[in-house]
Amino acid sequence: MQFEIVGNPDYGELKVVLDVGDVVLAEAGAMSRMSGGLEMQSRMMGGFLQAIARKLVGGESLFVGEYTAKEEPGYVAFAPGVPGCVQHRKLNGDSLILTAGAFMACTPDINLKPVFGGFKALFSGEGAFYLEASGKGELFFNGYGGVIEKEIDGEYIVDTGHVVAWEPSLDYQITGMGGWKQTLFSGEGLVLRFSGQGKIWVQTRTMGNMAGWLRKYC
Amino acid sequence: MHVDIQKQGAFASALIKLSPGDEFVSDAGAMYRCSTNVDIDVTTKSRGSGGFFGGLKRLLSGETFFLSTYRITDSNVGEVGIAPTHMGEIWAIEMDGSVDWMCAGGSYLGSTPGLQLDTEFQGFKGFFSGEAPFFVRVSGRGTLLVAAFGRISEQNLDGDMIIDTGHVVAFEDTMEYKLSKAGSSWFQSFLAGEGIVLDFEGAGKILTQSQNLKDFGKDLGPRLPPR
Repeated sequence: MQFEIVGNPDYGELKVVLDVGDVVLAEAGAMSRMSGGLEMQSRMMGGFLQAIARKLVGGESLFVGEYTAKEEPGYVAFAPGVPGCVQHRKLNGDSLILTAGAFMACTPDINLKPVFGGFKALFSGEGAFYLEASGKGELFFNGYGGVIEKEIDGEYIVDTGHVVAWEPSLDYQITGMGGWKQTLFSGEGLVLRFSGQGKIWVQTRTMGNMAGWLRKYC
Repeated sequence: MHVDIQKQGAFASALIKLSPGDEFVSDAGAMYRCSTNVDIDVTTKSRGSGGFFGGLKRLLSGETFFLSTYRITDSNVGEVGIAPTHMGEIWAIEMDGSVDWMCAGGSYLGSTPGLQLDTEFQGFKGFFSGEAPFFVRVSGRGTLLVAAFGRISEQNLDGDMIIDTGHVVAFEDTMEYKLSKAGSSWFQSFLAGEGIVLDFEGAGKILTQSQNLKDFGKDLGPRLPPR
């Protein structure tokens, strides 16, 4: 299997070339074009209950599309629903936390599990549940806008709604930004304060801010 | 201090590296990430921009009421990431103090503390243009960040040019400009959908944006179900 991400940072998409026997899974609806010889099946990843949970709480679809090159090699391209960066991450037994909607595609030995983020997650602007991707293989995720990778060693602050993914070696707290005046008037409100050592991926725009602006035209 | 534009294009953002003693000012709400040794102070003004009234005027110009000032609280370096709401480019303008820049329609994103911000009323015609009738005047020495809806292109004017108010991002205050009509009469201009334009004359730089944010909103908004 070969893959290539093209079009970053504005209109990223993922192109995958499958050899006979290769399988790739993708978020339902992400396929934009594929060769005729590929077999596509929708399935519930990780079994019915996990799929239901992922749908209800993870903001992801109940089904994922499974693309298999059964008898001949093939080609499939995936595009995220929102414009922005597509990121690749190779998992080698480690795991990655994805916020709702960030999952895009993966190879079959990656498992996606919904994780309740706890009470604090309700205020994170990212939904109360996250997806934990683990296993061995290739993982692809996306954000609205440019996605920037940041190595944290110590502490770092990210505005709510801008977090795409992070390594589980990091923990976070929801805090205000400075004192009450800053929290109320800085326009930042609550922020996520990450601590530990690991990587985080942030997006440079949020759909929430965009939708907020659009309200005055409805 | 170092200002770096990242992911230039539809989703540009700016990363400002701050050393102890450095400050940076931005539109309130533009910060999307920062190191923990950065403190935000929220004011209605930056230096010389007129306190509460300055904040009120800025609000009328399509900017937010408040400005955020970022400072380092310890002896280490720190960083602040700044991004606008809309899709588009960010440009950094290096100002040497000789020429003021005018920011139109909410394009002001941030600035180094050596720059003063003031809001200027463009007359009552502006109210009818559908665009904000205020510009933010930026003067002094430092780096100014402007954000646009779409791609920014630079027009080097020497003579005369007419630009739709919705496409003006910022311009040097070296030219004569007036709000005017695009067609031969107000009625003609209205029918052509080009209500009010800015009529520039002289020599100077003008930054224009490829798309008009208000037109985008007017196109998209009515397609949504009513609230």
